[in-house]
Amino acid sequence: MRGLGADEAYWTGLAQGEVKVQRCSSCNHWHVPAVWRCGECGSWDLQWHTVAPRGRVFSWTRTWHEFGAPRELGLPFISVVVELDDAGGRRLMGTMADGRAEIQIGQPVEAEIIQTTFEGETIPALRWRPIAESATRAGESS
Amino acid sequence: MKRQPFCGSVSVAGLGLRQYKRGQAPMSEQGVLVRTIVDACEDAGIDPADVDGFVGYGDDHNEPVRLMSDLGTKELLLNTQIWGSGGGGIAATLGVAAAAIATGQANTVVVFRALVQSNSGRMSAAVMRHHLNAHIVGAGVLAPAVNCAIRAQRLFEHHKVPRSVAEELVRVSYYHGSRNPEAMSYGKDLDVDVYRSARWISEPFRLFDCSRENDGAGAIVLTSTERAKDLRRKPIRVLGVANGTEKGWGDLAENDLQYGSAGFRPVARRLWQQTGLSPKDVDVVQLYENFSAQGVMSLIDHGFCTFENAADFIRFENLIAPSGKLPVNTSGGNFAHGFIHGFGTVIEAVRVLRGESANPVPDAKVCLLAGGPGAPTVSSALFGTEDL
Repeated sequence: MRGLGADEAYWTGLAQGEVKVQRCSSCNHWHVPAVWRCGECGSWDLQWHTVAPRGRVFSWTRTWHEFGAPRELGLPFISVVVELDDAGGRRLMGTMADGRAEIQIGQPVEAEIIQTTFEGETIPALRWRPIAESATRAGESS
Repeated sequence: MKRQPFCGSVSVAGLGLRQYKRGQAPMSEQGVLVRTIVDACEDAGIDPADVDGFVGYGDDHNEPVRLMSDLGTKELLLNTQIWGSGGGGIAATLGVAAAAIATGQANTVVVFRALVQSNSGRMSAAVMRHHLNAHIVGAGVLAPAVNCAIRAQRLFEHHKVPRSVAEELVRVSYYHGSRNPEAMSYGKDLDVDVYRSARWISEPFRLFDCSRENDGAGAIVLTSTERAKDLRRKPIRVLGVANGTEKGWGDLAENDLQYGSAGFRPVARRLWQQTGLSPKDVDVVQLYENFSAQGVMSLIDHGFCTFENAADFIRFENLIAPSGKLPVNTSGGNFAHGFIHGFGTVIEAVRVLRGESANPVPDAKVCLLAGGPGAPTVSSALFGTEDL
C-alpha cells in the first residue's frame, strides 16, 4: 500500500514525527512523488529534508458519501491538497481536523501526524488545521 | 504547424452495445461481452471468427484469448490493452487498432469494454483500486469522485469558472437522454430543482454531477476503409487519435501543473496537428463526463472555450441537437444514456455520423470523442464520414 516507489523515507519520517521531502543535491529540484533518479538533471544524488509542516490549501473537497475511507477521518471529512511553504511549491495531501469547517483555497494551514487504518494496515497521514495568516512565511513578508 | 498525418484509412465497420441496470446483467461479464462482439460483427456483416485483434482499456478482465472458443477465432494477431485503469485509455484503443491495421499486423480488430458488477464489483471501486496508495488513502481519496472533486474545486474557486456551466452540461446530457429510447433516463427530464438540492457526494459534486454505473459491454469492429466499403454499413473513418500526457501531468500525487484541467491539452494539441482540423471543424462532440466539472474542463482543454468564456459557450441552447452550435452527448452521455466505462460515447460517435442517433445532427461530418478526463493519461479521437 505504500507504493509510489522511492518514498520509503517519507513514511519513516512520519513515523518519527517529521515531514520529509526529497530534493536533488545537484540541481535542487524538489520531488514529490519521490524519485530514484532526478529527471531534471540526471543526478542519482537525492537527499531527504525535514520541512515545516506548513503551507496553504491548494484545493479541497468535503466528502459526504461513504466511500470506505479510513474511519478515523469521520464523515463528512475534508480532503486537502496543500502547497508546502518550504518545498519548492510541492504539494502534500491530507485532511482537515474539522470536517465541517469553512475552508477556502489559500488558507494557511499546519499539519500534525495522525494514524489512519485501512484494510487492517496502519497508515500515517497529515491532519491540517487553519493557522493565522501572520504565522506563515508569506504573511511575514507581506 | 506542419500536419503529421495519422494512419487514416481505418474505419469503424460495426458496433454493438448491451447495457443493463447495475447488478442486473442476465449473464456473466464474459457472456455479455461475447454477445456484444457478435452483435458488432453482425452489424458489420462479418464472421466473428475473422476477428484477429482485440484492444481493451481500464484493466478489463476479459483477456481476448479466453474469447477464442466462443468466437471461433482462427488467428489472434493483436492482443493488447491500454495502460492506466480509467476511461483515460478509451480513445487510445482506436489508435492501437488503427496502427495495427495500417501496418498489416492485424486485419479486423475489435475494441471493447465489459463490466458486470457481479464479476468486477462496483466500477468506481475497481477503477480506484488501480490508483490506491498510502498518500491518497490517508487523505480519504477512496473514489474517483473525491479526486475529481478536488480538481473541480480548483476550477470553480481559483479559475472562477461559474458553477452554473456544470449544471448546463448535465442538463444537456439529460435532455438528449430523455429522447433516447436506449438511455437509462429515457422519458425522464432532469428537474433542475432536484439537481440543485440533491445530496452532496463530494463538494462541489452533488448526486447528478456524477455519472451512473451500468452492467454491460460495448464493442466496435475496425478494419481498413477499403474493406469496410464492401461491408454492410457505411464506414466511419478514424481520422486521428492522440493519447498520453506531457511533463507536469501524470501520476504525481496531486502535483500536476495544470491542476484545474482534465489533462487533455497536450493530447488535443496533437490531435489537431495530426488531422489539420481545429475545434471549429467539429460538428458534434461525445464527451466522456465522469463528473460534470471534468466535462467542462475537457471542453476547455480541447480549445472550444476558455476559463474566461466558458459560461458563454457551455450553455444548454448551444449544446443540444439539432439546433445547438455544437451538440454534445447526443445519446445522453455517461450521465443519462448509461455508463459502461464510457463505451457508450464511442458507440454514439459512430452512430451520430451514420445518421442513426436518437438526437440526429443533420449533415454531421466530424465527431470528436473526448475520452475519460482527469486520468494520469488521457486520449481523444476524431471520427469522420469522409477522408481528410
